[in-house]
Amino acid sequence: MKRLTVIILGIFVLFTGCEEYDPREPGLLVPMTVDEDSSIPSISVNNTMLHAESFGNPDDPMIVVLHGGPGSDYRYLLNCKEFSDYGYHVVFYDQRGSGLSKRENKSAYSLQIMLDDLSAVIEFYRSSPEQKITLLGHSWGAMLATAYINQFPNAIDGAILCEPGGFVWKDIKDYVSRVRGFGITSEILNDATYLDQFITGKETDHEKLDYKFGLSTVTDGSEDNPVGDIDDVPFWRLGAIVNRAMFEIGERVKPDWTGNLNSFNTKVLFVYSERNRAYGTEYAQHVSSAYPNVQLVRIDGAGHEMITFPTGWNNFFPIALNYINEIK
Amino acid sequence: MKKTNWIITTILVAALSVSAVAQSPNWASITPDQKHIANLNFGWDYSLSLGLGYGYKIGTKIPILINGQFSIPAGENLDDDFKAKLGGQVRLVKAGNFMATAIAYGIYRRYETEIVKFQNFGSEFTGVAGFYKPHWYAAGEFGFDKAVVTHINNSEVRRQFNPSAADGWFIPMGGNFHYGIQTGCSVKFMDAYIKIGKTVDQYLKPTAVIPYYFQFGTNMRF
Repeated sequence: MKRLTVIILGIFVLFTGCEEYDPREPGLLVPMTVDEDSSIPSISVNNTMLHAESFGNPDDPMIVVLHGGPGSDYRYLLNCKEFSDYGYHVVFYDQRGSGLSKRENKSAYSLQIMLDDLSAVIEFYRSSPEQKITLLGHSWGAMLATAYINQFPNAIDGAILCEPGGFVWKDIKDYVSRVRGFGITSEILNDATYLDQFITGKETDHEKLDYKFGLSTVTDGSEDNPVGDIDDVPFWRLGAIVNRAMFEIGERVKPDWTGNLNSFNTKVLFVYSERNRAYGTEYAQHVSSAYPNVQLVRIDGAGHEMITFPTGWNNFFPIALNYINEIK
Repeated sequence: MKKTNWIITTILVAALSVSAVAQSPNWASITPDQKHIANLNFGWDYSLSLGLGYGYKIGTKIPILINGQFSIPAGENLDDDFKAKLGGQVRLVKAGNFMATAIAYGIYRRYETEIVKFQNFGSEFTGVAGFYKPHWYAAGEFGFDKAVVTHINNSEVRRQFNPSAADGWFIPMGGNFHYGIQTGCSVKFMDAYIKIGKTVDQYLKPTAVIPYYFQFGTNMRF
């Protein structure tokens, strides 16, 4: 069989002049991670390497930006650098196993370790105990922020939450099923499922699985996609294994991150997008009601990735800036 | 309806449609004078798919069916993805009404989105064994579909996010086992069948978005 494969491949190469690649080789299918390329900015915390960088005066109030996924990266949130022009120290990091951060084995992931990583990142960048900390979380990042607030209600001073899927497992599952509710004959369902006969890999075949996961973003700007984004969402690498691990943990643990939110009396800015058909005002009211003190705002002209594209950002930024100036 | 009308209808329907798994003849219903089998099928084969196939029975002592299949999945862009198979089936065992068949295909398949284009050469090996009577049959099947070598062509849309993404032939990219059951009935020169089963990847994990397949199909023998 192997000999036949080599013969077939040899014929292809002969006729096409193309190179033959091993998909497991770093950097061919997806960009290299911080442990593979030392030129990528990184920090070593909590026994892992995270792709991270910060902008602004380190002594200014800190905004920690938490990306979605799980498994995505902060590339699509880089508009948030603009907060640094208004007196804030903005910290970005790719969560464990996500983006350009070091990959881990599936067994290395847990919700607690994600929370511990966030504590470690805050500790790494914090210039003084008095420095105020605001979490800015998008989608899964807003869920992670809420899980953090639920566990450490006195640790931070503000939160901007952008369309979290939910704070209890049932809400999260329902939301995800609405987001993935593609028509059976639609092109985007076909694009997602037909691929399964081309690429498979075991859980250590990170490059292949990350690449395949990244191809799922082809649905981003589609009219058929209910989340309402207008174009492809930029990213470096989507972490397939961390995404799979966190969903499996969710299925097993069925988290509820609302039990202690009443202890957090600081006003939370909760935003949702006009164009996301899977979200809407009623669901935003339902999810945000877990917090005792909420400013609920709809971002007009935007889909789920409201921070990424110009209309959403131009509508979101003044509201978010006003909020953090209030709690500064 | 005359046989010729059936042929025209089958070809027209197939030409308008768009899929799937191996052709499933009822070996017990094929008469010695029937050399050709046309197939039309519909089902889930990694996507909602429609397909057509043609088989030619070689008059050897051990029955051999040389056949080809072509299928296209659903979606707004009907020309971006397809799968073509060329191969054959050999009935290896016949013990009363029990028969066992070995199937082998070479596969060429294509997948294209706005961010990537794949061309894959693969192979499929399937074994089918069951109980065959002239008017019906029931069998089980087990097979392996290997995506042997895949040419990846990343589009400019993808390159704007990952400029260093490599284009070229990648090996190995994956494979999937499939196993399931099939049953069918035969009347005169027509067979109708249904097959249903599950797919698992080559590491025996059901990692496909929808790890199942099914197919409704009809064969016309002439």
